[in-house]
Amino acid sequence: MKKTLIFLVASTALTAAIGVPAWSAMRAPEGEGLWPRVALFEEGSQALPLLRVSDDDDRDDRDDDDDRDDDEDDEDEDDEDDRGGARNPAPASTVAPPQNGLFGTGTLPQVKVN
Amino acid sequence: MKSNLATLALAAALTLPGFAMARPVTLTTTLSTYGGDGAYLVLYVTDASGAYAGSLWMAGGKSKYYEHLSDWYRATGGDTAQVNGITGASVGAGRTLEITLDMADALFDAGYTLHVDAAVEDMRDSPNEVAVPLTTTGAGTPVRGRRYVASFAYDM
Repeated sequence: MKKTLIFLVASTALTAAIGVPAWSAMRAPEGEGLWPRVALFEEGSQALPLLRVSDDDDRDDRDDDDDRDDDEDDEDEDDEDDRGGARNPAPASTVAPPQNGLFGTGTLPQVKVN
Repeated sequence: MKSNLATLALAAALTLPGFAMARPVTLTTTLSTYGGDGAYLVLYVTDASGAYAGSLWMAGGKSKYYEHLSDWYRATGGDTAQVNGITGASVGAGRTLEITLDMADALFDAGYTLHVDAAVEDMRDSPNEVAVPLTTTGAGTPVRGRRYVASFAYDM
């Protein structure tokens, strides 16, 4: 009889020791109960800005690259001009003067710089 | 034989006016010693109503600077086809540019005006630097420009 009582008391104590905290946790407000997960996400959210900053840097780097591309484009444009690209007119003596009605027989212009 | 003579006479009749329709004209532009880089100059003609008629010469080979020849650029939209074959180097300060062109007689004494626009890097643009009416009596008479041209004259 004593053994039965002892088992009963022990099992009740064990149930109370394990069950009460578990029951308390289940009854706790949602925010409190989620705290560990929130903390986890907050840690994650703290990490994200670092990633974003890193991304921005990367983007800035790419922007810098774009700027360099623009510069290169400008240089190319200059080169094109230097090469006498399509946008520059044909120099004298390489083609006939334009047919604008100002010129007579099409004799090429004679030029001298003193 | 008669038909050959008739053909020859007809050909001469058709050809001679063609020779008479143009004459060599020398355009002389002397720049002042303005103390800057070489000047871009464009010589062009407007008709009696002031409308752009055509270009005679462009001194300066890079079209990206043509916008500074602002009156000419406004009239042509910077169309480089206007100066294909009549383009040379820019002209340094104090130098004289002498161009001899075969110009149509119809341009003289008919209300046409010859204009010069000028531009120098890092200096003020000078549209309509020179504007002279094209007349036979005005030939050989030098005129002074507004900013960079010390004298301009056309001789024929």
